[in-house]
Amino acid sequence: MLRPTDTRPAPGWIAGSQVVAVSPLGGARARFVGGTGIARGYVIMKTPEISVVCPLFNERDNVGPLVDAVASVLGDRWPWEFVLVDDGSSDDTVAIAGARARADTRVRVVRLARNYGQATATQAGFDVARGGVIVTLDGDLQNDPADIPMLLEKLGEGYDLVAGYREERKDRFMTRTLPSRVANLLIRSLTGVPIRDNGCSLKAYRRELVERLGLYSDMHRFIPALAVGTAGARIAQVPVRHHPRRFGRSKYGLSRVWKVLADLMTVIMLRWFRDRPLLLFALGSLAALGVGLLFTLGSIVMPLSGAPGAQAVVLPGAAILLIGLSLYLLMVGLIAEVAIHRAAGTRTPFARELGRRP
Amino acid sequence: MERSAPVIRDAPGGMPAVGINVRGAAAREAPALSVIVRVTERPARLEAIYEEYAPALETLGETFEFVFAIEPWARKLAEPLLRMADEGAPIRVIEFARAVGEANMLRYAGERCRGRILLTMPAYHRVRAEAMPELVRRVEEGADLVAARRWPRSDRWVTRIQSRAFNGILRRLIGHSTNDVACGVQAMRREVLTETPLYGDFFRFLPVLASREGFRVLEVDAPQHADDRRTRVYSPGTYIRRLIDILGLFFLVRFTEKPLRFFGLVGGGLAFGGFLVLALLFVERVFGGQPIANRPILLVGVTALTLGAQAIALGLIGEIIVHLHASRSRGYRTLGTPDDEGDAPADPEDT
Repeated sequence: MLRPTDTRPAPGWIAGSQVVAVSPLGGARARFVGGTGIARGYVIMKTPEISVVCPLFNERDNVGPLVDAVASVLGDRWPWEFVLVDDGSSDDTVAIAGARARADTRVRVVRLARNYGQATATQAGFDVARGGVIVTLDGDLQNDPADIPMLLEKLGEGYDLVAGYREERKDRFMTRTLPSRVANLLIRSLTGVPIRDNGCSLKAYRRELVERLGLYSDMHRFIPALAVGTAGARIAQVPVRHHPRRFGRSKYGLSRVWKVLADLMTVIMLRWFRDRPLLLFALGSLAALGVGLLFTLGSIVMPLSGAPGAQAVVLPGAAILLIGLSLYLLMVGLIAEVAIHRAAGTRTPFARELGRRP
Repeated sequence: MERSAPVIRDAPGGMPAVGINVRGAAAREAPALSVIVRVTERPARLEAIYEEYAPALETLGETFEFVFAIEPWARKLAEPLLRMADEGAPIRVIEFARAVGEANMLRYAGERCRGRILLTMPAYHRVRAEAMPELVRRVEEGADLVAARRWPRSDRWVTRIQSRAFNGILRRLIGHSTNDVACGVQAMRREVLTETPLYGDFFRFLPVLASREGFRVLEVDAPQHADDRRTRVYSPGTYIRRLIDILGLFFLVRFTEKPLRFFGLVGGGLAFGGFLVLALLFVERVFGGQPIANRPILLVGVTALTLGAQAIALGLIGEIIVHLHASRSRGYRTLGTPDDEGDAPADPEDT
């Protein structure tokens, strides 16, 4: 179903009968490219080894410096591409990005039809990225592209995801840094994935992980937890630099607290119960049943013991409600199993062969 | 003369095959504009629709075809059309095997017709014919979907108040919407229809759904047709259905990707309220020594807690479904890259 939006030949493509691209990490991949106008069928292409993906939303002043910075850091050390995803900007971000793409064929632009949010924009970048290694960073220049080589080096040690964490944040304390610290503490303790900084976009992924992530809604905040929970990824963290915002306005505010909390609930569920949702609902069901039975007991014992105020409606009523809840939760859990069952087999397990390849 | 009816094989959900009677117009070149007339309830004389609207569209100076989508009961009504088609009028009639609803009619008729631009209308007179070319022109000028708004209106206040209330509620809840959702006269680029998920009664909200997909939606005033002036009072069931539609749309637009944010808010609020009540009772019982087993408030607390837990459970189910779905399909629509313009490569799926 997924189809890269840009099927034009990239520099280094050679017409031929077979595609083989060798990534810096030793994996070989083949890719079908249909209908380029020049050649149909399989085309040999030298895939970029590194794809840098960056979602942009109204970052007109940052695009140019960002492209320059990435180009100067990556230079000729690896074949790379820079995927700029315009997330429905209303300023001339697209025009500037498009001009950069025309000037340098390693720069590519994906234009989303409207503003979808960071997670979906990042996913759109993932969907067209061709590299064996994918690096994400923010479009606001607060991440330093100079940190990319360090991330790549760490990834080469055998991790699936290397997440940067900002050692010295350069943001307002009360509205940005403090809520972020609390959120990180919560996420860390509730998901059991010891990530220091979930808000830092500067990350490097192995392609195999990216293909399993499937970001949507606002899930970009929980990438490490999702990566561990749904793909079993191995994660490393490295400290990265953080710069204050130079141009443009921050797109976040305090209003996201409820959203983050609700999403966190989802992530916790996915982390612990993705493959066995019935367990989660059965636990809730048992709790309700337990309390319901207590009430039942009370409604039997209290009138017998002649306790003051014991009455025939309230306690049995509460007992009935709770036992009903218990049944209800059990049934919801079964529905959840149905949903999971229908999707079973659509995900390949995340596995890697150990030892050196010949 | 009549071609054998093709069968649409990818019809979802066991939808019966769709028969198409193609006469006359079928042999011609693909027209620039396809007018899809949805024949459902209380249709006017179908040939009158063609006779009234076709001359107005001729002023555009482009080729067009009229595609009448009908259900089996309307076959008699379509007979004059088929005669006209035999005489060379650019008319096609698509007969669905059963009542499939306007959304499916529009979608399948849209797939079957050949115009680059689609103009769709119900099978009765909504707006005056001279307003039609303007809708098409706006699409040609760059809008993706242009919806007609009946204005100036000339019908009775009863009808108008209903319309105001409906559209007002809609705008309040959805944030952005057109001002005359019931009109159902719209011109659009083909892609709007193929790329906007459309089914069931959400058909009438196509402009809202299309703008959610990132299409540019525009509203244009079109004078109301004299025949549209009747006072309309519907059965209570219809009003309830419309309200349910709005509720469904509201949820779809705001929470499709994050159901727990909605159910969690409702459920969390209820559960927290219930918890507070129970905590208070607990304190009274333990520290105040007051009996609580005879107090109905205990039931209120337990009920709130129970409902809250149920809502949260539903939200979690929703999240599981969304999560499973997200890994299989992409949830965004892209535009051509800026450097594509001018030398856009042929889309392999179109050829």
